[in-house]
Amino acid sequence: MKHGWNRDTRRHFMNYFMSGAALVCVIIALIPLGSILWTVIEKGGPVLNYGFITGAEVAPCNTNSQANCHIGGIGPAVEGTFVMLGMACLIAIPAGIAAGIFLAEYGRGRVSRTISFLMDVMSGVPSIVVGLFIFSALFYYDAANRLHIFSAYAGALALAVIMLPIVTRTSEEALRTVPNGIREAAWALGIPHHRAVRKIVLRSAGGSLITGALLAVARAGGETAPLLLVAGNSQFFIPCPPGQNLVSCLDNPVGALGPLIYSWGSSPYSNQIAGAWGAALFFVLIMLAISVTARLILYRRTQKMGM
Amino acid sequence: MTEVAQRKALALGLERLNENMRNLAELSELAIRKAIDSLQHVSETEAREVFDVDNAMYELQFVIERNCVDLIALHAPVARDLRTITTSLKISTDFDRIGRYSKDIAEISLKVGKESPTLPEKLENLTRMADLTIHMVDTSIRAFVNRDAESVKDIGKFDDAVDDMHDELFLELVKLMENRILRVSQGAEYILVSRYLERIADHAVNVGNRVVYMMTGEQPRHAAPYFKKSGPDGMKDSTSG
Amino acid sequence: MEYQQSNGVHPAKIRAVDVSAYYGSKKAIDSVTLDIPEKTVTAIIGPSGCGKSTFIRCLNRMHEVIPRAKVTGAILLDGEDILVQDPVQLRRRVGMVFQRANPFPTMTIYDNVAAGLRLNGVRDRNILDQRVLRSLKQAALWDEVKDELNSPGMRLSGGQQQRLCIARALAVEPEVLLMDEPCSALDPIATAKIEDLIYDLKKSYTLVVVTHNMQQAARVAEFTAFMYLGRLVEYDRTQKIFENPAEKLTENYITGRFG
Repeated sequence: MKHGWNRDTRRHFMNYFMSGAALVCVIIALIPLGSILWTVIEKGGPVLNYGFITGAEVAPCNTNSQANCHIGGIGPAVEGTFVMLGMACLIAIPAGIAAGIFLAEYGRGRVSRTISFLMDVMSGVPSIVVGLFIFSALFYYDAANRLHIFSAYAGALALAVIMLPIVTRTSEEALRTVPNGIREAAWALGIPHHRAVRKIVLRSAGGSLITGALLAVARAGGETAPLLLVAGNSQFFIPCPPGQNLVSCLDNPVGALGPLIYSWGSSPYSNQIAGAWGAALFFVLIMLAISVTARLILYRRTQKMGM
Repeated sequence: MTEVAQRKALALGLERLNENMRNLAELSELAIRKAIDSLQHVSETEAREVFDVDNAMYELQFVIERNCVDLIALHAPVARDLRTITTSLKISTDFDRIGRYSKDIAEISLKVGKESPTLPEKLENLTRMADLTIHMVDTSIRAFVNRDAESVKDIGKFDDAVDDMHDELFLELVKLMENRILRVSQGAEYILVSRYLERIADHAVNVGNRVVYMMTGEQPRHAAPYFKKSGPDGMKDSTSG
Repeated sequence: MEYQQSNGVHPAKIRAVDVSAYYGSKKAIDSVTLDIPEKTVTAIIGPSGCGKSTFIRCLNRMHEVIPRAKVTGAILLDGEDILVQDPVQLRRRVGMVFQRANPFPTMTIYDNVAAGLRLNGVRDRNILDQRVLRSLKQAALWDEVKDELNSPGMRLSGGQQQRLCIARALAVEPEVLLMDEPCSALDPIATAKIEDLIYDLKKSYTLVVVTHNMQQAARVAEFTAFMYLGRLVEYDRTQKIFENPAEKLTENYITGRFG
């Protein structure tokens, strides 16, 4: 009778070993994320409060060497980020969903596949290149022959260009996930296709569409490079004196969180460095919140549909 | 909550079949009764009615066969439904034969009636045999219509009695003919009548046995082998069990 | 091909004349000619791939939604060729129930049944209520769901979902109801309930049922068509097909010698 190292034992050992090794790898993979979060929370935590988020920026100074040195606030950057992201959403989400509908519901075979493929390529274009493109498209000389580069529009457009392929592809996928049986049922009732898409298919895909949009927002919101090129990293809130219409107000340089962290983080002044950590924490929290929301919606939908 | 389906098409088909079978059964009883009446009172009209009934039964039997084949082909019935259908298929033949024999008796009644209008009194045995036979037919039909296997469990005993009566009647008729009390042409016909009655009783027993099968699923066991030797000395030995 | 013209008792509701159907260059149906009598149940049987689903989909022009699909020949509904009419209008007269029940997932039971009406412009709540009630009754589902019309359609069992789809199809008051293997995904009791339903429906509608279960055809249909490899092999009264088919091929299929 064989004891000890027979085939069964070896198999069990291999099982445990592999599970253990996989677990170790997971932990290794999580370490960077964990340490980032930890560092950001540790360094930015003390700085983050309502005043910080909404307050105006102050002059750079060294907190330890100068008395009366405040960290100030990141209000303009927050405002800029939200304004540009907001406008980008207004452009990219409807356009992206419409494109997704076209590809999923009306495209014919090869044409659809080609466009989808191009969309995938587009989402791989480095964001700095997108920034450069927007820059070259939108700079102009104004009435006084001054070079006009930075504006909220340019930033928003750059973010929209980044968001668009993502929204398109996720919308297309979401619609493709709707089982074809539903469409057939609608057609068989004598419902024209466009109405079937609007009233039935879109509603079925609803949550997935939102998720896709949120994921695109999370992705674009984190982009810094293009904003450096075209948004301008202004230190001030968007100047909009009463009497001037909003449209032209936005045609000015704006701040944004990414560029702000870039410039403060590389600054020699300690108040700005401290502020940079606070801004980083805020930035990470916002983007995480969007991502998590998106995935929660998706999770609850799949639960509800019992899939 | 157990779900219930009605299988409407099958239910409708079975209902039609049952109705047809009831009609056929009742026609067969009508046939034998009228035939015996005609024999006792020599009524030509009654005899003709028996012929009509027999024709109707012949047609109805085909309709029933059609019903059964359709139900089997289209609905693949099982269990009680299947037994009901196969039973109907088999006993419709029995009823048809009862009708046929009744017609034969009616024909004899016409032939014999020409010579003497009424049944000779000496042949009350024949009357008794006829009554018993009719009773058996009636019992088996009631059992089929009411789906009552209990009432026909002992129908075999009646059949034994009818067989005995047939044997006695045979001897009696032979004696009457030998003693020239009865003309041979008449006596021979009465022997046939007795024979037909005995056959009708057999068919009634078949029906009864088939009803038992339909209700319980047990195949009818032939009444345990009994044999009779009938010949000039009329020896018979019947063992039942 | 022998087909007893339904002796005038049941005039032909749909006539297929020399119908062929293609997927791209592949011929799925080859020159099928047959009449569907009115207010009866016609079954189409045959082994997998014989073209029976393709054929039934031609009858409401669902076949064409597949890219590169084509139909030739003529299909007459009440004498008029449907292949030259508006398919959307056609599908309101010729409804369809599919193999897998496909109730609209985000809708309640009421909304599901009313969908065909609502999405075609009917707004009057009274009319909708009436039609929903009637359709659910016709689909033998009313008693089971009358207290939960506002709960999601997806919560019903498989058999109930299929009856919901039938109710939904009936709500638009079609003249013909096509059923493409309606019981394939159901258990025997649910199947039997739908067969009872078909038995009742044929008083008011013309039904065409595709089934891979030939016993089902025997149970529910007055007329049966047997198709093989895209061709119509035999078409006759169901009794004739199952008791004494004219074609050897039919007999071999029915007796289970192949298929």
